[in-house]
Amino acid sequence: MSLHVLICENSIDGILSGIYRAYESRYGHSSIELTTADRLDTYNLFCEYEEVPVDIQKVQKVSRTLLREFGQEGFRTLCEAMSAWESPRDCQKEMSKANAVYKTVALGLARKEGARVLNYLGESYVNRVFQLSRSTYCESHHLLGFLRFAELENGVLFSQVHPKNYVLPLLADHFCDRLPQENFIIYDDTHKTAAFHKAGASYLLAEVPEADRKFMERYSAKEKEYRALWLEFFRSIAIEARKNPKLQSGNMPKRFWPDILEMAP
Amino acid sequence: MQLTQSMTIMEKLHILSDAAKYDVACTSSGVDRGGNGKSMGNCLAPGVCHTFSADGRCISLLKILFTNECIFNCSYCLNNCGQDVKRASFTPEEVCSLTMEFYRRNYIEGLFLSSGILISPNYTMDLIYQTLYRLRHVHHFNGYIHVKAIPGSDPVLVEKTGFLADRMSINLELPTSESLRTLAPCKSRSTILRPMRQIQNGIAASSREQLELHDWLVRREGGLSASPDTSGGFGTGTLPGGDPGVFPAATGKDDIPDTIPVSGSSAPIRPVGSWQSRPRFVPAGQSTQMIIGATPENDYQIMSVAEGLYQNFKLKRVFYSAFVNVTGSSSLPALPGGPPLLREHRLYQADWLLRYYHFQVSELLSEDRPDFNIFLDPKCDWALRHLECFPVEINRADYKTLLRVPGIGYKSAERIVKARRGGRLAFADLKKIGVVLKRALYFITCSGRQMYPTRLDEDYICRNLMADNTQIPREVRESGFTQLNLFDLGMVAPSQSQAARIITGFSSGISQAGGV
Ligand code: SF4
Repeated sequence: MSLHVLICENSIDGILSGIYRAYESRYGHSSIELTTADRLDTYNLFCEYEEVPVDIQKVQKVSRTLLREFGQEGFRTLCEAMSAWESPRDCQKEMSKANAVYKTVALGLARKEGARVLNYLGESYVNRVFQLSRSTYCESHHLLGFLRFAELENGVLFSQVHPKNYVLPLLADHFCDRLPQENFIIYDDTHKTAAFHKAGASYLLAEVPEADRKFMERYSAKEKEYRALWLEFFRSIAIEARKNPKLQSGNMPKRFWPDILEMAP
Repeated sequence: MQLTQSMTIMEKLHILSDAAKYDVACTSSGVDRGGNGKSMGNCLAPGVCHTFSADGRCISLLKILFTNECIFNCSYCLNNCGQDVKRASFTPEEVCSLTMEFYRRNYIEGLFLSSGILISPNYTMDLIYQTLYRLRHVHHFNGYIHVKAIPGSDPVLVEKTGFLADRMSINLELPTSESLRTLAPCKSRSTILRPMRQIQNGIAASSREQLELHDWLVRREGGLSASPDTSGGFGTGTLPGGDPGVFPAATGKDDIPDTIPVSGSSAPIRPVGSWQSRPRFVPAGQSTQMIIGATPENDYQIMSVAEGLYQNFKLKRVFYSAFVNVTGSSSLPALPGGPPLLREHRLYQADWLLRYYHFQVSELLSEDRPDFNIFLDPKCDWALRHLECFPVEINRADYKTLLRVPGIGYKSAERIVKARRGGRLAFADLKKIGVVLKRALYFITCSGRQMYPTRLDEDYICRNLMADNTQIPREVRESGFTQLNLFDLGMVAPSQSQAARIITGFSSGISQAGGV
C-alpha cells in the first residue's frame, strides 16, 4: 500500500481544500498525508504525490462541517493552527501543520466527539495543533497590545506589523470592534497584506506587494505632539530603583521592537 | 494654581505620571465588553499589555494622578503635604483628550486615575467623578477605566463613580492599623475599609440585578424593549438600607484587624444619563495594594490580611509593592540593598496559591514559621514539608491533587485532566503540555513509574530543586539582587535544606532590620 501525499497551498483555504480531497479520494486516512508546498523539498520514491488546487466551494463545505462538528471555538483553534508559521526547524522535526490538522479533524469526526478531541494532547497530531494554535494566539494577543497606529495627514490611522504567523484577520477583527468610527489600515509587511477599514463598515484584506514608505510617514500635525507625550509618559512611569532591561525584553520580545514607537531605534 | 494653569500638558504629564508610578496595579483584566459599533473602545477579560517599562512592568493603562497636590501627610509618599516637589493638576478635559488620543493610537487599554487629595476628599472625588463622566458621556469612551476611591469621601460620590468605572480600588497601604497610624496618620482602617465594603456590596447588588434581568429576559423570551428597572436617577444623599440577609458580609471571624461593622447598601444608586443603557457597578471588581517592607509586619501577617480581603471583601486582586524609600523620612527604613523584590515575588507566588491553587495561608506559614523561604518558592517549600502526599499518579489523581504538585500549573493541571480522557499520558506528553518536569519529576508517576528512579527524601529533593536557578526569579537575579549576598556571608551548611531554613529565619530579621 503506497502513501498518498496531498500537497496543498499554505493557507487556510489550501489546507481545507486538501482535507476535502482526502475524504473524497477514499484512500483511507492511514494511507494519506497532507503537506504544504513550501515544506516539500525531497520526494520519497514510495509515495504518490498529488497537488490539490484551492477550490472555494469545497472550502465552504468543509468549513460548514467543521463549524458544526467542532463548534465556533474549536473551528477557531483549527484556523489558528492553519495560520501558524512553521520554522525551518519545525519543517525538519515536526509533522506538517496541514497533516496535523487533517488527522485531528479525522479523529474528531470519527469519534463524533468534535472539539473534545482537541484536548487529547497525548495524540501527537492533536498536540501539534495545540502548539501551533497557541503560537498564533500568543502572537496575535501580543500584537493587540504592541501594535501602534499613527495618524496620517488625511486622518487615517496607519500601522505596520511584522508577525511570524498570519494573524492579520485576528487583528483586523479586534480593531474593527474597538475603533468602529475610525478609518484605519494595518499593513502586515511579512505577508505583504493589508487590512483596510472604513469608518462604520467592515474591513477588506488585500495583497500589497509594494508599500509606499513615504505615504506611511506623512503624519498629521497632532500626531507628532501625541507621540512626544507618549514617549514622555513611557519614560516617567518606570521606577528607576527597579530598572531591569532583561525582564523588559523577556516580556516584550525584541523582534517586535522596530514597530513599537517607544522601543524603535 | 496659577502655576498649574501656565504649565504645558507635557509638563503636567511628566509630573503626574511620575507621581503615579508607585501604584503597582496596571492590569486591564476582569471584564469582557464588546464594541457597540458607535463609540470607541472594547474590553477583553484577560487584559492586554501594551508595553513594558524599563523596570519590566506591564503598562496597560494611562496611569496618572489627577493632581499631586495633597493635604495628607503619609510619610512614604513623595506627594505628602510636607514635601517640596513641583505640583500640578490636570483638568478633566485634559485627562479625557490624553486618554482618547492615546487609546486611538493603541498605546493603552484605558485609564488608571488616582489622585492626591486637593482641598478635601470630597472635592477630589468629585473631580474624579466629573472626569469619568465626561469621558463616558461626552467622549463616549467604552474602554477600560480603573479608578481610586479617595479615603474619607462621601459614599454617594463613590457610588456614582462606580457606575462609570470598570475597576475601583482603595489602597490598604499597610497591613496593620498600627502601621497605618504611624506612617499615614490622616488615614485610618475605617476610612479605607468602609468604602471597600460599600463597593463590595455594590458589586454584589449589581450582579444580582444582572442575574434577575437575565432571568426576566429569558422569561420574556428576549423582549429587550421594556425594562424591568425601576430604580430612579440619582437624588438622595443617603444610601438605601442594606439587606444583610442576602449579602452577609464578614460575619463571625474577620481576619482583618479593626474591621468596621457592615454598613453597605444593596441597591446602588444609578447616575442620571447612563453611558450604557444598563451600566454595571464596578464590573471588573475591586483591588487593593499593600506596601511591603516599610513596616515590621512578617509574611504571615501580610498573607493573613490578604486572605481576609479575598474571603471577606471579595477582592479580585491584592497587589504587593516592594517599598522604595523616596522621601528619606527618618520614620522609614533606609533599605540600602534596594527594594525587597524577592520578598515581593514570594508574596505574589503565595497570592497565586490562594487564588488559583486552593491553598490556605495556614498551610504555608504559621506563628512559628512566619516568613517565606527565600530559596524555594512557597509551593515547593510546602511539598517538601508534605512528602507524605506524594508521589501523585498523573493518570488518576484529581484536579485539586494535581494542583499541589510543584511544576504543574493550574492550566497544565486542567489540560492533564482533559487529555487523559483520550488516553494514558506519558512523561513526554507532560512536557509538551507545559509541565516543568525538572521540578515535578520527584513528585509524580505516570502509569505507576517514575521518570527515573529518585528518592522521596527531603534533603535530596531540596538540593536538586535549589540547583534549578528559576527558584530565584529572573527579575530578581538580574536586577542587582542584594539579598543573595547572604551566600557571600559564607552560609554554606552541611545540608542545603538546613541552610534554607537558617537563612529563612534570617530573612525576617533582614527585612525588619531597617524598620522603625
Ligand atoms: S493621601 Fe497620602 S499617599 Fe495619597 S497622595 Fe496624599 S500623601 Fe500621598
